Amino acid sequence: MSHHQQFPQGSTVLAVGTKRGLFLLVSQDRVKWSVETVALKGNRVFNAVLDQRSAPRLFAAENGDFFGSFLRYSDDFGENWQEPEHGIQFPQGGNLKLQNIWVIEPGRPNEPDMMYVGVDPASLWISSDHGKTWEPDVSLLNHPTREQWNPGAGGLCLHTIVPDPSNSSRMWIGISAVGCMRTDDGGQSWKFANKNTRAGYLPDPYPEFGQCIHRFVQHPTQPDVLYQQNHCGIYKTTNAGDDWVDIQHNLPSEFGFPIAVDRNHPDTLYVVVEDPMARHNVNDQFAIYRTQNAGEDWEPCTNGLPAGAGVRLGVLRHGMCSDTNDPCGIYVGTNTGQLFASHNQGESWELIADFLPAIYSVTAAVIV
Amino acid sequence: MSAITVSLPGPLRKRVGNLTSVSVTGSTVREIIDALEENFPGLRFNLCYETGELRPYVNIFLNRANICYLQGIDTPVPPDATILILQSVAGG
Repeated sequence: MSHHQQFPQGSTVLAVGTKRGLFLLVSQDRVKWSVETVALKGNRVFNAVLDQRSAPRLFAAENGDFFGSFLRYSDDFGENWQEPEHGIQFPQGGNLKLQNIWVIEPGRPNEPDMMYVGVDPASLWISSDHGKTWEPDVSLLNHPTREQWNPGAGGLCLHTIVPDPSNSSRMWIGISAVGCMRTDDGGQSWKFANKNTRAGYLPDPYPEFGQCIHRFVQHPTQPDVLYQQNHCGIYKTTNAGDDWVDIQHNLPSEFGFPIAVDRNHPDTLYVVVEDPMARHNVNDQFAIYRTQNAGEDWEPCTNGLPAGAGVRLGVLRHGMCSDTNDPCGIYVGTNTGQLFASHNQGESWELIADFLPAIYSVTAAVIV
Repeated sequence: MSAITVSLPGPLRKRVGNLTSVSVTGSTVREIIDALEENFPGLRFNLCYETGELRPYVNIFLNRANICYLQGIDTPVPPDATILILQSVAGG
């Protein structure tokens, strides 16, 4: 392992957040991979993102077992880390306490200093200076329904943030066991966007909020189209979340966590549905499920993925991502430390790392 | 008010210039934590939640007694006391 100040243009860099630290895997051809950085050892890294809208900056959500949760950033690919001057902390003496930092989302391409972070307890944090100082979205923090929000098994976590690149006032967020919310006025107000998504574990299965959304992605060229993996189904909206349509169709389970889109062929999406009770592959074959027609039907992608009575793999909500190449690369990390990659839209898979700690998140960046 | 010696565990020493212990003044553990924060910004967040309560796996010993069995962070700190901060033993 060596420490690089930079990687050649066109390199694919995977930031793999695990139960015990952050790993950067790098490849020039997406076939041969090397572990180039091991950082933040010992702490739970829920998410890490290499932001290249300006000079490359690597952000990580480091959740310590003992001494707190911190957003950190590195300008040398993880060799040295900085802490924000004014970090993600609720007001001293108040009644909110930071439990975990869940997701880091760079802002729109035309706002290179904007960064967004989601945490538990559910709140959205905003930086307008590329991570140096952070403030919460006050409207969400004081949402009139907040007292009725109840945490899921992972906590009351805000885990998905989608800033609309076509509309600087619009953004969607996802909160476990609360659902999808949207702002159309730059975060001054938030409304629920859960119509027709099911909460099968509640007496009223179609409430205004209370749905356990797991992850969602936006169509890269049709901004009102989004796809979500929910605790209870896979859904598509064509009207920015005003309502949703079930697209589970022939998938063998409604339950899963991650979802990813092929940015160059956006009718192609990937999910990893699981046995909802056991939370691993539905049968003896570990599979990534692909649709190439926006959810009309799904096919299991298994070439190169393990099978057998002893194969029981789970993938967490941030455990899968796609890259921006064409053909698209897909990366899937398991909660038992295997990292699988496909460089051909899921046609075939390789195990590119094993024996990692439990993988919480995988993000991909192609060096520009 | 005499200085109190506070010993810190390895993971927190970066906050204090890689020292193993520092001296601050205060008459309760809370005041000691306030003084640590004033001298080494960010250290309080390592020890306490924003609500003011001590993090669950942070143990503070006053002259070898765990303050959770005394008066918590309101425990009085006598002159010339020593304070030891340790993380809990955890694992499996």
